[in-house]
Amino acid sequence: MSAPVRTLVAWCPDWPVVATGVDLAEPVAVVYANRIVAASPGARAQGVARGMRRRAAQGRCATLALHERDEAREARLFEPVVAALDDITPRVEVIRPGTCALVMRGPSRYFGGDAAVADLVHERLAEVVAERTDVRVGVADGPFAAELAARAANPTRLVPSGEVAGFLAPMKVDVLERPELVDVLRRLGVRTLGAFADLPASDVLARFGSDGLGAHRLACGLDERPPDARRPPVDWTVSDEIDPPADRVDRVAFLARTLADELHRRLGRDGVTCVRVGIEAETEHGEQLLRFWRHEGTLSDAAVADRVRWQLDGWLNGSAASRPSGGITRLALIPDELIAAKGRQLGFWGGETEVDQRAIRVAARLQGQLGADAVLVPEREGGRHPDSQLRLVPAATVELTGRSLDPEPDTAPWPGVLPAPSPTRVLAAPIPIEVLDERNRAVVVTGRGLLSASPFVLAARGKRIEVRHWAGPWPIDERWWDPEAHTRQARLQVVTVDGRAHLIALADGAWAITAQWD
Amino acid sequence: MFDTRAMATGHARNLAVELDERADSATRRAELRLVGERVTPMALAREQTLPVLGPLVPLFPEGALRRGSIVGIRGSGATSLAMAVAAGPSTSGAWTAAVGDPDLGLAAVGELGVALERLLIVRPEPGNWSSALAALVGAVDVVIAAPRHRISDTDARRMAARLRERGSVLIHIGDRWPVGADVQLDIATGEWEGLGDGHGVLRSRRLDIQGGGRGSASRPRQLEVLVPGPGGAVAALAA
Repeated sequence: MSAPVRTLVAWCPDWPVVATGVDLAEPVAVVYANRIVAASPGARAQGVARGMRRRAAQGRCATLALHERDEAREARLFEPVVAALDDITPRVEVIRPGTCALVMRGPSRYFGGDAAVADLVHERLAEVVAERTDVRVGVADGPFAAELAARAANPTRLVPSGEVAGFLAPMKVDVLERPELVDVLRRLGVRTLGAFADLPASDVLARFGSDGLGAHRLACGLDERPPDARRPPVDWTVSDEIDPPADRVDRVAFLARTLADELHRRLGRDGVTCVRVGIEAETEHGEQLLRFWRHEGTLSDAAVADRVRWQLDGWLNGSAASRPSGGITRLALIPDELIAAKGRQLGFWGGETEVDQRAIRVAARLQGQLGADAVLVPEREGGRHPDSQLRLVPAATVELTGRSLDPEPDTAPWPGVLPAPSPTRVLAAPIPIEVLDERNRAVVVTGRGLLSASPFVLAARGKRIEVRHWAGPWPIDERWWDPEAHTRQARLQVVTVDGRAHLIALADGAWAITAQWD
Repeated sequence: MFDTRAMATGHARNLAVELDERADSATRRAELRLVGERVTPMALAREQTLPVLGPLVPLFPEGALRRGSIVGIRGSGATSLAMAVAAGPSTSGAWTAAVGDPDLGLAAVGELGVALERLLIVRPEPGNWSSALAALVGAVDVVIAAPRHRISDTDARRMAARLRERGSVLIHIGDRWPVGADVQLDIATGEWEGLGDGHGVLRSRRLDIQGGGRGSASRPRQLEVLVPGPGGAVAALAA
């Protein structure tokens, strides 16, 4: 089995924070879906860490400034950084904003060795990012090991060819970035990549499926997937002309979506996916812009469309020197290095599917538009009243993926709660009514919890409606230990002659409709 | 002397012709595939529906919710029925958004089968109503709207176009929607069972639903079903 291609990875730490344009010494963090995704060194010094909940982070550091994640901005600001490497090799690929990779074979031979290239890359990038952050460069076999080398670098780190497995062995399994798998491995006592690599590949496949096998191959210092020698039998490039030439991103964005869709459909139909996808734009003056983004079959069509938009944003809104001189007339997506699609099963580990992502994005957008209190999600809590078993909380305060609101199976129901079906409308403002018996006298509840007479008519605001069926009263005596919050209620279920069902309650001598079944 | 140059160009020409032919057959194959896709409407129709719960299947001409369609529900019991219709897609992984009803009983929504962890409750001001709805369409598969004010014709038409383009389903409760629904469900009568005179507890409600609509849904349909059934979920009538 051949070793993975020699790869260089350049990494700018804390890029999401850098992109906000603040001073890194200040405590600043970037959040997405209420989790910290990046923190400045100033914030880390006070105990803020990646993956922390927003509230927890604010608890650690009261002066923490929070920014919502803006990937488009991150990508736009990263484009000049990547462009600085264009004359070292034309094949620079962006793994994500803040991290880029290049294949070493050509440059290494041309510049005289890995070390020379690593130093050159570091020098170029340090010039571009200047004071904003530092740059780390790692070289190893394959992008996975190279990225870890970059994270361990100061400022460059070269892992000699063939020693990758040894370099990876002491690392924690957490670096695989597969939280569910890592959790299981840790509980099995497998804590380092070396220990994971020692497991037989066939057993790993049997227990963890093809995704687990991919992780195992990475831990062994191999490519995540065995290289597939298959050459593209047809040209898979999807492209389209833009007429009139577009000089604004929003005009190209729609096309980007269509192309990404088309690319996915075509690749999907033939059961292949690509390691990286090239985004190529041609301008009316014949300039050709090309940038590769890492794909590895893990990007959805929406994610590809996002990257196209970011890339165009980077080109069209870059510095005057690097900006294309005319509008974009043609846009193409080029899938590069095809591999067999293993059918990545989305959501198998209870992770975030694309459907969830769309819903979470729209929730965030609506919160911005309508205010945080206008977009709510249910959260479970205990209680006897129909409105207190579940409560609504602003969507911004909870994590929207991987939640489960099923009642815990072994918890007993709250004493005094009425059995299902529950009312479909729980009135925030109960409607005051009068409950009268056959002789037009008010119905009351006696000290022993019994009705003084059968309810016959409900009257509210001059309207009267007859009761067909009723049951109750079910008394509740809540919080008797607290004179302020103490409530005593008697509840009745009532079906009126129009066929509607109501829950009515007597509290402090007054009846009111508190809930309805619609 | 051999004319090597002529031989070389001849060879190149042959190669070019061969390549051309190859490219030709590739494009022809691609064209054929395109035609193939166009003549398989059955597969497409099935692709573009969302499932509904078993007891409600007879209410829908395709036996499922067609993506991009509008379902109107009127009558006493409309909220329960709307949630029951949304429960099918929701249990199979779709997100649901409920817009406009400030008093929605969450326990009942859960009992009727909507996955509460994939439910968004949105409460826009009347002025923001259509922009909120437009944002949800496409991002969330099922949008349930209970407008308290009349929706303008323009907004409704724009929404219908957006639904068709994005493939979400809109369920609206009540009669504040100006344009006709693709599938219209009218609740004629609802009868509660389980409650007596001073005893018992609400157990289930038998709804008599009349179905209408446009296109294939215009054929009148009638269904009696328990919404909610015992335990709160939808149930078919015991035969």
